[in-house]
Amino acid sequence: KEKLLVLAVLISFAGYSLSEEENVARLLASKNVLNQYLVEGRDLTVQYTIFNIGGSAALDVNLKEESFPEQDFEVVKGNLNVKWERIAPGTNVSHVVVLRPLQFGYFNFTAAEVSYKPSENAASAVVGFTSAPGEGGIVGSKDFDRKFSPHVLDWLVFAIMTLPSLTIPFLLFYRSKSRYDTPKPKKN
Amino acid sequence: MSSKKDKAQKSLTKEEELLLQDFSRNVSTKSSALFYGNALIVSAIPIWLFWRIHQMDLYQSGILFAVGTLVSTYLVAFAYKNVKFVLKHKIAQKREDAVTREMTKKFSDDKKMTRKERDERILWKKNEVADYEATTFSIFYNNAFYLVLLILCSFYVLKNFSPMFNYLMSVGLAAGLLALFSTSNK
Repeated sequence: KEKLLVLAVLISFAGYSLSEEENVARLLASKNVLNQYLVEGRDLTVQYTIFNIGGSAALDVNLKEESFPEQDFEVVKGNLNVKWERIAPGTNVSHVVVLRPLQFGYFNFTAAEVSYKPSENAASAVVGFTSAPGEGGIVGSKDFDRKFSPHVLDWLVFAIMTLPSLTIPFLLFYRSKSRYDTPKPKKN
Repeated sequence: MSSKKDKAQKSLTKEEELLLQDFSRNVSTKSSALFYGNALIVSAIPIWLFWRIHQMDLYQSGILFAVGTLVSTYLVAFAYKNVKFVLKHKIAQKREDAVTREMTKKFSDDKKMTRKERDERILWKKNEVADYEATTFSIFYNNAFYLVLLILCSFYVLKNFSPMFNYLMSVGLAAGLLALFSTSNK
């Protein structure tokens, strides 16, 4: 009997939400870090995509990103607070922000906030959250350089530095050798 | 009679001296200075590599660099001496004829020199030439070998270890192997 009651409640809720779906906007937001490597002092790209899976347009959409403290991340390009007047049903919008981490270490990328009006006559805004990319490790610039930089100039300078200690002894040896070397016997 | 004996002893001692110099592993002060100087230069060059490419801080790793350079200098100078000693005899044998010819030509018009003195001078010149050539070749060969070993160790074998460990092991291995190979009697 209890099971039947629970089932009834669930069906009624589903019925309710299904009927409402057609006239209401419903937004799903994702937040992705597009970098393969997160390096201190180098650009970090974050992409936000908002999908409207509802039946009507979402109005007054606000994306509020507050999870990047100013002393740890510098904004290179883009805005952390974005507004869209209208997102049509069945469409999506995307927004990209380029940041630069000022410190290295582990950083937890948390969700940003999305608020919108699901319909024209909605009383209050609906607040939702984007997906959270999770924890990422920001590599220090020295470690990254050590691993990936080609260091062409450094190798060149190294070669120039070692040249005297190699060529001078060899030249001296060769000079003396050519002076005293026994001439090869001539073929008859 | 005693003076004649003394004179004979003296000239023998001079030849003995030359022979001793030939066969002993001890090098003169000038050679020693040359060896240590070159060894120091060669041992100091890797510091640039580690500073720039492995991003090791100069001031933080200063003591490590100093210790590594000193140990490496000692071992490389040791290798120089050994290789030079082995080479000297080979070169002396090769250059014997050419040196003798040159010196005989030089002294042919000097009638006042005795045969013994001429031989002594030829022997001395042979020794000098062999010494010089062995020294320069030893320095060249050991420098090249050391640098190759160091680059191999540091950038292939020990690529993924921490820079400090990398430096100590690369310099230690390179200098150590150099010293080891120099003690072979080929």
